Amino acid sequence: MALDTRGFAVPDATPSQKPESPVESPLQEEERRSRVAAPGWLKILWQNRKSRVGLALLAIFAILAIFAPVIAPYGPHDTQFFPSEQPSSAHWLGTTQAGEDILSQLIWGARTSLLVGLFAGFFSTVIGLVIGMIAGYAGGWIDDILSFFINLALVIPTLPLMITLSAYSQITGIAFIIFVISVTGWGWGARVKRSQIITLRERDYITASLFAGDSMVRIVFREIMPNMMSLVVASFIGAAGAAIGSEAGLAFLGLGDPMTVSWGTMLNWANNSGAMLTGQWAWLVAPGLALALLITSLTLINFGVDAISNPHLREE
Amino acid sequence: MVYFLRKFAFFLLTLWAAVTLNFLIPRLQGGDPAEAIVQKLAGQSQAVSPEQVQAVRLMLGVPDEPLWRQYIDYLNQTIHGEFGVSYSYFPYTVLHMVGQTLPWTLILVGITQILSFAIGTALGTWAAWRRNGRFDSIVSTFGAFFGTLPFFWTALLLLYLFAFKWPLFPDGGGYSGDSPPGWNWAFVSSAIYHSVLPAVAIMLTGPIGWIMGMRNTMIQVLGEDYTRLARAKGLSERRIAFTYGARNAILPNVTGFAISLGGIVGGSILVEQIFNYPGMGRLMFDAIGNRDFPLIQTIFLFLTIGVLTANFLADMLYGVLDPRVRRGGDS
Amino acid sequence: MAGSPPNPPASAGPQPVFAVRDLDVTYLTKYRPPFQAVKKATLEIAPGEIVGLVGESGSGKSTLGNAAIHLIEPPGTITGGSVLFDGQDITRYTEDQMRPLRWKEIATVFQSSMNSLNPVINIERQFQDAIQAHTGMSDAECRTRIAELLEMVTIDPSFMRFFPHELSGGMKQRVAIALALALDPTFVLLDEPTTGLDVVVQKSILRNLKEIQRTHGFSVLFISHDLGAIMEIADRVIVMYNGELVDTQPTSHLLTANLHPYSRSLLNAYRELWGVPPDATTSAMVDAVASHQDVPVTTVDAHVPGEEAIAPTDHAVAAEESDLERRKRDRRRAGVAGSGEVVLDVRDIVKTYTRRRGFTSTTVDAVQHVSFRLERGKITALVGQSGSGKSTIGRLVTGVERADSGAVTFTDSQAKRMVDVGALKGRALKNYRRHAQLVFQDPYSALNPAHTIAHSLMRPLRNYRKMGAGQARAEAMAMLEQVGLTPADRFIDKYPHQVSGGQRQRVVVARALAPQPEILIADEPTSMLDVSIRAEILELLNDLVRDHNLAMLYITHDLLSARILSDEILVLNKGRVVESGIAEQVIEDPQDDYTELLLASIPNPFAPAASPAD
Repeated sequence: MALDTRGFAVPDATPSQKPESPVESPLQEEERRSRVAAPGWLKILWQNRKSRVGLALLAIFAILAIFAPVIAPYGPHDTQFFPSEQPSSAHWLGTTQAGEDILSQLIWGARTSLLVGLFAGFFSTVIGLVIGMIAGYAGGWIDDILSFFINLALVIPTLPLMITLSAYSQITGIAFIIFVISVTGWGWGARVKRSQIITLRERDYITASLFAGDSMVRIVFREIMPNMMSLVVASFIGAAGAAIGSEAGLAFLGLGDPMTVSWGTMLNWANNSGAMLTGQWAWLVAPGLALALLITSLTLINFGVDAISNPHLREE
Repeated sequence: MVYFLRKFAFFLLTLWAAVTLNFLIPRLQGGDPAEAIVQKLAGQSQAVSPEQVQAVRLMLGVPDEPLWRQYIDYLNQTIHGEFGVSYSYFPYTVLHMVGQTLPWTLILVGITQILSFAIGTALGTWAAWRRNGRFDSIVSTFGAFFGTLPFFWTALLLLYLFAFKWPLFPDGGGYSGDSPPGWNWAFVSSAIYHSVLPAVAIMLTGPIGWIMGMRNTMIQVLGEDYTRLARAKGLSERRIAFTYGARNAILPNVTGFAISLGGIVGGSILVEQIFNYPGMGRLMFDAIGNRDFPLIQTIFLFLTIGVLTANFLADMLYGVLDPRVRRGGDS
Repeated sequence: MAGSPPNPPASAGPQPVFAVRDLDVTYLTKYRPPFQAVKKATLEIAPGEIVGLVGESGSGKSTLGNAAIHLIEPPGTITGGSVLFDGQDITRYTEDQMRPLRWKEIATVFQSSMNSLNPVINIERQFQDAIQAHTGMSDAECRTRIAELLEMVTIDPSFMRFFPHELSGGMKQRVAIALALALDPTFVLLDEPTTGLDVVVQKSILRNLKEIQRTHGFSVLFISHDLGAIMEIADRVIVMYNGELVDTQPTSHLLTANLHPYSRSLLNAYRELWGVPPDATTSAMVDAVASHQDVPVTTVDAHVPGEEAIAPTDHAVAAEESDLERRKRDRRRAGVAGSGEVVLDVRDIVKTYTRRRGFTSTTVDAVQHVSFRLERGKITALVGQSGSGKSTIGRLVTGVERADSGAVTFTDSQAKRMVDVGALKGRALKNYRRHAQLVFQDPYSALNPAHTIAHSLMRPLRNYRKMGAGQARAEAMAMLEQVGLTPADRFIDKYPHQVSGGQRQRVVVARALAPQPEILIADEPTSMLDVSIRAEILELLNDLVRDHNLAMLYITHDLLSARILSDEILVLNKGRVVESGIAEQVIEDPQDDYTELLLASIPNPFAPAASPAD
């Protein structure tokens, strides 16, 4: 049984044909047919209802982030307005107690989240990929040592670790946040890739590549990797989602970058400046909802990616 | 048997690794860590009190000793439970502060987690059993969404709605001030009353992960050959669902539970802070604000040890549930 | 038209236990057109009768059996016809309606490599829940019954408390059979019950099963791709092809009756594999389409004899009539210069594996003092069941593993020196691998699904023969032609999943030949292919050995195909060579008991003593 990127068990992607048995159960016959007639990956993503919604949502956020200076009515730090206002036609979400427009902050905040998601997701995926692949392919004592570190990375609670690292650090800033998240969040990806490589390593076509004279490097990158692509993509998307959540958590605790506006810091300010007392529900609801929708869009896209690698799930 | 021993060895090894990590973090930036901290505090124009310096020195040891000597001292201290003095709660020791808050967190997190797991697993089984039925579609669609709601956001909303807008629940604290702490009904009931909102906040998103996980594993298991044979045997639906379905499907989720504990603990820090709940999470949060490093570090250590222990217990449970692991075969 | 009508003569006796009339089973999926797996199937099984249903992959036999008793999952459904059990029409029965019939009247045994026992409960409980679901027996009464059942299938009752993963494959299958008989059913469906099991184990299980059936009198539908196994115990044989039942005959008449073209070609495929002279009456029919041109490349993996699509009414049977045996004789007579030269000398190799479980370690003696030589132009066969050490020897010969003692010496004719394979490392090992190429067992996993055939073929050409891209591609196309995939441009840019299993295996052979090796090692090259295609692949190997003057090591569990293809046979049992010699001699005059046991266990429908009344 394989695990998908969210840790949920999914049926193995390849039909389980056992040796000395050219025969198939009805289900295996069906599996073989579905493998044979596979549509292109983009089509699958679009066909799958969930991932279609996800792609659309992500697109909206991306547009907001890229065109923030044009779309947002005001700058995020413009403190020229009346403080603590309720939503009105001039300020759709109201203003903060320092007089900034909440809607503008929300739109600019999209940049932070997407940036952190993209980069921290990318780095943690890369770290996980490298460690997982070396552990899986090398085997032996190298695998034992690396597996220990992977399990360690999985078991140590990430938020407390991130908090502790941030507390001691002399540097602040988005780059540091990305660094902290990448360095603490690679464990899951590593584990998944490692088990995938262990499965693929045993395949006959890998042995055949050895006998065809290919070097190990070439085998890993040109023969194994292409078969892992959808796993890597799904893993990246999942890591990006997790990174966005982590950044929000850190920012909420006040450990984020004080210079940049992010949805987490917005919630922090809302909480600290008594939004509950002033009844400014919009200030409370909006950033959290935005976070949830962005992360949901990524999760939904991942449903589609899972379906690419696993015909079983396509019939949903 | 080997399985249990191996997991125990892993537990000990990771315990050692966590302790060592705790030792290394303040020293990662090189130089004298105590000096660096003092400078950092000074640089942020906070008044550096003699107590703070004292506490930091106590914790970090003498800077001109070789690293390995500091490490041995540190290990020594840890084993003896000497974690230094908290300077934001001077003269209380760190251990004392942690000891006071530990039970609260343990109870809140422990109970909510177990309930989340139980409810989520049950619902996931139901969703998979009636695959593509109405319940399943609702669960799948909303599951993805609700599972991404940040803990702290739902907590904020709950607090706002049910403590401010409609004051049904207290707006914070672990218990109301007028009941003295102790094993009396007044206190206990007050504690329960105060823990409802935090618990609901955690549990609103908690079970979701389990529902999805259990649903997927159940679907896989229901497609297995032994389930087909169970059906061929004419066993009742209930029996197939439990002894053949859920009993097998739950195994990967026990592992998943163990792994997710780290994330749960993180979430509870946030929730406690919002509800001003007197647990370790809030203590840590305040400690960050006060730059109370000995406290921060020790809380981190305790949280880690807690997660490791729970992980170990989950691994043990898995060994009990899956005969393939505890009685390695030679087929 | 040849082929008997689908309806057997109406039995004068009691009504059939199991009757299927015009049954249609279709797979209805959302994104692809519906696929009809079973078309208008009609058959009857009388009380106490054992009926065998034989077909190749894609024939729909498994679908037929399982759909009839409502054991297939959506998207497969019955879309037409009816199923009668003991006179009752169960076609539209719901689960609740089926339940009283299940296990008490209708029982099943699934394929042996399947995971059909619940991994988390012990053997006793596997029986107990079935028994107690339908009867009121107490736990103690159950236990007695279970002990009875286990003894009936020759398993010690103390195994009750074990878990499934602690039993071997053969034992699990016996448990599955005992389980099926727990409530004394009227009808048992066996779906590939012995596939994947050791030939000796298979024989004993089938014999056991037949005895029990004679005593208890239940009816059996025995589904399998292995005609020999079916003919061991069945009273009647039904042949299925492409969703249709094309023939039904009593077993004793099968070899002599006037059969449907497909059945004929199936039988001939077996004959060919085992060196039995082909049926003379078919030679007239065979001339039609015999070449490999016009092979349709379909996207649905349809396995057809000779890999050409035939409609059942088409008289042009495409089974190759060329005789494997004749080819072998040709090869020997050809006697190319330089043949007989020793290429690989394996002397007294020993390999032991230690398995550590907990604090005890068990040593497994995989290979014990095995010696043989591979000569140019000759095919040597290593025959053994699983656990005999044959795969280990393959690994030792290719340098993947090192022997503990003994020597594997390769004579490099170009460099004119002897090379100790066991001592090779790094670059030297890579160079050796050029000369000892592998043909794998599983055509589905031997080619990288992410790359085209061109890519897979060009790698060895570019690495070993230092060809540029254009040259390599041209050479790859030439190689495809050599292995019978013509016209090559139809195949060169396809992905593995777009060609059939047999075609894939040809590509694998082409790839093995690409670096111009001296030794070819084929590890079960045909066991995962349909019977009708096996002979062709073996013929291909035979011809290539002759044309390129290769030395070949043929590793297999099938003693009879070893005789047809190879010059020398070594029989392995538990790591030791128990018999070796010229192929024909080993088969006709075996010296060792184990060899005799193997020969007796192979289900051979053509052997003179093969009569159903055993």
